[in-house]
Amino acid sequence: MKKAPKEERNEQLKTTAPKQWAAGVPAVTHALEYSLDETSPLRVGVTLLNINQVNGIDCPGCAWADPSPGHRQLNEYCENGAKHINDEATSRRVTADFFRRHSVSDLDKQSDLGLNQQGRLTAPMVKRPDSDYYEPISWDDALGLLADELKGLDSPDEAVFYTSGRVSNEGAFLLQLFARAFGTNNLPDCSNMCHESSGYALSETLGTGKGTVSLEDLHHADLIFLVGQNPGSNHPRQLSALEEAKDNGAHIIAVNPLPEAGLLRFKNPQNVRGVIGRGVQIADQFLQIRSGGDLALFQGLNRFLLEAEDARPGMVLDQDFIGANTSGFDEFARHARTISWEDILTATGLPMEEIERVRDRVLASRRVIVCWAMGVTQQRHGVATVREIVNFLMLRGNLGKSGAGACPVRGHSNVQGDRTMGIWERMPDTFLDALQHEFGFEPPRTHGLDAVNAIRAMRDGRIKVFLGAAGNFVRAAPDSDVTEDAIRQCRLTVQISTKLNRSHTVCGQTALILPALGRTERDIQATGEQFITVENSMSEVHTSQGRLEPASRTLLSEVAILCRLARRTLDGKADIPWDQFEADYGIIRDRISKVIAGFHDFNRRVVRPGGIRLPNPVNEGVYPNRVGKALFTCNAWEMSEAPEGHLVLQTLRSHDQWNTIPYTDNDRYRGIHGSRRVVLVSPGDIEGLGLTEGQRVDLVSVWDGGVERRAGDFQVVAYPTPAGCAAAYYPETNVLLPLDSVAVGSNQPTAKGIVVRLEPAGVPAG
Amino acid sequence: MVAAMQILTVDESIDLNVPVGTAYNQWTQFESFPRFATVVKDVDQIRPNLSHWVIGFGPWRHEFDAEIVDQLPDSLVAWRSLDRRFNQRGEVVFRPSDSGSDSTTVSVRLQIEPRGLVGLVSQVPGLARRVVHSELCHFKEFIESVGQEGGAWRGVIRNGHVHPSEPEPPRSRVPRWPVG
Repeated sequence: MKKAPKEERNEQLKTTAPKQWAAGVPAVTHALEYSLDETSPLRVGVTLLNINQVNGIDCPGCAWADPSPGHRQLNEYCENGAKHINDEATSRRVTADFFRRHSVSDLDKQSDLGLNQQGRLTAPMVKRPDSDYYEPISWDDALGLLADELKGLDSPDEAVFYTSGRVSNEGAFLLQLFARAFGTNNLPDCSNMCHESSGYALSETLGTGKGTVSLEDLHHADLIFLVGQNPGSNHPRQLSALEEAKDNGAHIIAVNPLPEAGLLRFKNPQNVRGVIGRGVQIADQFLQIRSGGDLALFQGLNRFLLEAEDARPGMVLDQDFIGANTSGFDEFARHARTISWEDILTATGLPMEEIERVRDRVLASRRVIVCWAMGVTQQRHGVATVREIVNFLMLRGNLGKSGAGACPVRGHSNVQGDRTMGIWERMPDTFLDALQHEFGFEPPRTHGLDAVNAIRAMRDGRIKVFLGAAGNFVRAAPDSDVTEDAIRQCRLTVQISTKLNRSHTVCGQTALILPALGRTERDIQATGEQFITVENSMSEVHTSQGRLEPASRTLLSEVAILCRLARRTLDGKADIPWDQFEADYGIIRDRISKVIAGFHDFNRRVVRPGGIRLPNPVNEGVYPNRVGKALFTCNAWEMSEAPEGHLVLQTLRSHDQWNTIPYTDNDRYRGIHGSRRVVLVSPGDIEGLGLTEGQRVDLVSVWDGGVERRAGDFQVVAYPTPAGCAAAYYPETNVLLPLDSVAVGSNQPTAKGIVVRLEPAGVPAG
Repeated sequence: MVAAMQILTVDESIDLNVPVGTAYNQWTQFESFPRFATVVKDVDQIRPNLSHWVIGFGPWRHEFDAEIVDQLPDSLVAWRSLDRRFNQRGEVVFRPSDSGSDSTTVSVRLQIEPRGLVGLVSQVPGLARRVVHSELCHFKEFIESVGQEGGAWRGVIRNGHVHPSEPEPPRSRVPRWPVG
């Protein structure tokens, strides 16, 4: 067993010039260095040779699609995937003795990085209301405690069941089945905080909540937009697809406030030009847009396209597509022509010539894909921006044809699959009817709580039990102080986890840690070794099978935990064979195939190499929304401008970080080393605000309600951000994001649009 | 030498003793091409307008994606490859043959750019024509002997966009709720 570092490192901030390219040989060395620090060379070898291979382990790092079978590399992973999988495969262990030595209060003083470094959880633990320590508890007692608490609630709606994207399809299906058989739709998930705006807008306009493209489309597109995303750190394997697209002649336009290394150049460590050459340029044009300016940009482009059609009737817009497949064009066109260029230029911060160059590239391209991520969705007008992207694609028929389409790039590995399996607080009646028919109980029809509303309900004392299936809800959620207070109000919080995190130290009066098998580990049940299934960002459902011996003999799989909990809680209510489900995951998949459309013959089809490609109705020429046609929409917006002396802050991940978990305090692509408490500000704003580089400041967010939200002691770093825009790492800055600051329509927290002022550290405003 | 080469065009026709509907429907079952075609080793139909093809002679293999640009039931299928190294496009037209209502004339026009290894090899005089002719003969032998099609896709494709033959084709029946 490896030992965790005894003390947290406390280094001085050092900055270097931001990198102009991503990956290359350093990516390999950093991945191996981290992996070998976590576990043995043998385990590193097993994980890395199996990751993302057919019949191997699906990398839990991100949801990017794998190349088709026969086209995968021997090393089919990225630096961050390698780090993440070996972070799970670590040889470090958190034992009962560890919890005897560390009180919950002490652990809560440790950093996120320090908690994660302690290693894998190995046995169920309980913190009693009158104690500040976790102590061992048997599985039977732990699940009995939880079941009794649930059964004692006045209403099933006093419980919340949160899902994070690590949970498998099988686990997610069982969790929603259990929650609904228990009697509630309170099923928030991590996607409430990531791509809810995408799903909402796509569902409304196209009738499907998922992206429309596959890797083949990316490879053959003429023009690819990368909007509000940082592929170099958050989905590096996307760079391989972009490299192939460029080899095929594609042009790429990157739209982002920060000139991220992965948007500029990619050195693929698996080919010669990436190892000893200059790699491949990614963005042919980089638009350094103001945070939140994407809606204005696409409205400007749409206005340009309409005007180009005026000048050359029948030559610019795809009138055949618009006439046959869409609705609302005339109203949209009238509205688009009214948007003022002055507003567009102000909102985007871009010169007109830059937008004209984009227009020219669009007009020269027959096949256009727009990829986007949280820079688009975590804005007040995130839904409207995705709608406008759909308008943009439809104008030239870039939906439903090869090499074109909409590509929301999702983060967590099975975040899409969990939603497919019914993890949503507002599932349609057709799904609930199917559940009722298959399992013989009446599912609740009242809509449940999403993440933001769950926090509100906990804050108000309406939730007594919180169960988190994977993830780190306390740190992923907005408004950290409010969220922490809300969680602490619960009578019981339960975390099904693999590693220690803040959601174990910020907990309810009673707290349970239920340690689960990881994705990398063998899962042996009564009928033998099991595999699980996941769905990637491109709607491909495939298997994942762990290869390592489990971190502890007493771990249970997520499926086993949920089945045992359901048996204890439901006492035979509903005709659900929880015993059989736990013994044979194939039986779960059989039942999934009877409830969820598109999953027919699930067990047979999913084991084929590459698994199942779920079709997208848009690519079948079907738009199953309320009007049966793709909808053009009119999207109004307000200028997201910070008042004088303020900046618009976006929160972001460092390169050495996976979701809420930093792996080190470094961010080598951005040239930040030794500290995460930094705020990136443009040199002009540093001067304009009377600050100096390296100065220590508090970040104070501005919001209605009179509550001051302050993140203390950050160092100012001069960085090439757009004027008026700043950036800082999450989750440290989640404390600044007001719970009520959400995207219109989707209720998604606006982590990319926080208005802040910078005050000298420790000097309150007077 | 290469620069002097022109786009190679091959026109081949064949008469089949099956009705147009049968011939057309069988042709739309791209994944069954390896059953009768010699050079087609594997086909993966990703969606109605996009498929992945593996072709080869002996031990040699070449893979490419193909887009269907236009498709009209009982009339035509027009495609283009999405491969920068082997750029080819073509169309196959189905019409009742002059010899009777239960027979069909299938005409294939294939255009190959002299790019990449496959494109250059295809320039060998007469080679592409012989391959197309031979594969049409295989198709004739196959469909005439089995007598009826093994499946059908009756949708329309115009300018790369799919227009389904029914309001909710089976492949469109998938989860549609928002995915966050």
